[in-house]
Amino acid sequence: MAAAPVKPVLEFRLTARYGAHVVLREVHAAIDPGQIVSLIGLSGSGKSTLAMALLRLLEYRGGAVTGSIVLEGRELTGLSGAAMRGIRGNRIGYVPQSPAAALNPKLKVSTLLRETWRAHATAKPPEDAFASLLESVRLPGTSGFLNQRAGELSTGQGQRLLIALAIMHKPALLLADEPTSALDAITQAAVLRLFRDLNRRLGTAILFISHDLLSVAALSDRVEILHEGGLVESGAPAQIFHSPRHPFTQALVAAMPRDLRSSSPLEPEVPGPEAAGPEFPPP
Amino acid sequence: MIQRLALAVLLAVAAIALLAPAIAPAPYDYQDREKTNAPPDRHSPMGTDELGRDRFSRLLYGTRVSVLLVPAAALLSVVLALLLSLPAVWRVPLAAPAVSGFTTISLSLPWLFLYIILRAELPLNTSPSTSVILTFGLMGVSGWAVPARVFTAAMQQLRDSGWVLQAQTSGMRTWRIVLVHGWPHLRSLALAQLRILVPVYILSEANLGLLGLGVAPPLPSWGNLIQDLQHPDVVRANPWVLAPLALLILVMICIECLQTSPDISPESSPVSLR
Repeated sequence: MAAAPVKPVLEFRLTARYGAHVVLREVHAAIDPGQIVSLIGLSGSGKSTLAMALLRLLEYRGGAVTGSIVLEGRELTGLSGAAMRGIRGNRIGYVPQSPAAALNPKLKVSTLLRETWRAHATAKPPEDAFASLLESVRLPGTSGFLNQRAGELSTGQGQRLLIALAIMHKPALLLADEPTSALDAITQAAVLRLFRDLNRRLGTAILFISHDLLSVAALSDRVEILHEGGLVESGAPAQIFHSPRHPFTQALVAAMPRDLRSSSPLEPEVPGPEAAGPEFPPP
Repeated sequence: MIQRLALAVLLAVAAIALLAPAIAPAPYDYQDREKTNAPPDRHSPMGTDELGRDRFSRLLYGTRVSVLLVPAAALLSVVLALLLSLPAVWRVPLAAPAVSGFTTISLSLPWLFLYIILRAELPLNTSPSTSVILTFGLMGVSGWAVPARVFTAAMQQLRDSGWVLQAQTSGMRTWRIVLVHGWPHLRSLALAQLRILVPVYILSEANLGLLGLGVAPPLPSWGNLIQDLQHPDVVRANPWVLAPLALLILVMICIECLQTSPDISPESSPVSLR
């Protein structure tokens, strides 16, 4: 007997525009449960617009979306604002690009965690829930850290906190919008490894949006190439690296250093403890 | 140091004003017809007015009216401004142009003349409580437009900020986003607006009182107490008539000193991600 086909956690076919300017045209893709899909495109190609469209937040930013977005078998495009609010942060988590911009510097870490909890839960969080959540993203769950203001965190800590907020309600899908672009190379590798760990541990599907093909190659089950408002190529990282078909993908791969190109898929190498960041001797 | 001294003076004035019933030698409306325009003595430290009322008691009660009701009117303006700015920013359909137009109209209205017309329509024996509600209520209602412009601009910045987007993607309710994420940023602006409005309203009440359009007698206020300054012979006879004006000037100077204080402004230290 043939196995039942896996239902995608997310399937969309959408067009997004700002006024008369069409940013995404009939963009179609599907993500299976537990899968990591990377969406690669140049700056300004509509990657973040796609994330906002999937969250139905584009209208808040002056845009409009037509088409279909199906999450766990449920069509999102016709849902009310209140129903969408119940899905955001609950079934779809979102990790933004820059902690400096995305974390309110005046709020304490504990306030951010409590408010994110309250968005989808009426009961009090279980004892030590926040501490264990923070530890799952390699942040200290101490009261000292919980009482720190977001503005006092380092960029790496801020990015981990954003990930913790996004996974708090164990969403089926995580949208990560260039979450490593503001990080240094070592922290970037650690955060990428953290995403992979969370994917394996929680089974959360991830749509990883980036302009950097190299950094996400090792993380992804599939890579989608976005160019001029459309998806021009889709495939496994190895196929994208070794036999790119579309001229834009070829240019993208050709722009990478030759020795790195030949060794794909690339593993983000982080010395030291798993995803916790390395420790080096002082000078 | 100067700021602390100013704050101490303001607190002392507020405390004395609030304790007026306990400190004042006589009720503000008590008339001793046998002791009109009397010079200062042991029972009346600032003498009496033309109706035999104790000037010191009236100054204490007048200070109480101004000290309590001016901040209340300023608070009303700031709360109205905040409430009217919210729908303009959070994309309630047609709210933005409606609030913007309403603000422009409000800013262009000659409120003083409207107030004079309004008072002219009221009977001469308008009760003190009605005059108090009218004076300070109208100040509160008419003063929302300038802070509303400030709040609208600030809230537009907040609405488009990354942390509001992060809160939206977390599924937070809009009112909760405003309260938790917005208020810490708006609080310092609201306090700044309060500090601007309080001296403006003190002077407005004084102007209206001088014109006989403010708080109606026998209830005293700084405005109607300085009406006596229109009679130079009274001033020459009893310089204590200048006391309400001196107190008003002292309070205004202290408020101005606080405006420039860097150490009491809330959350003035910049925070940044490192």
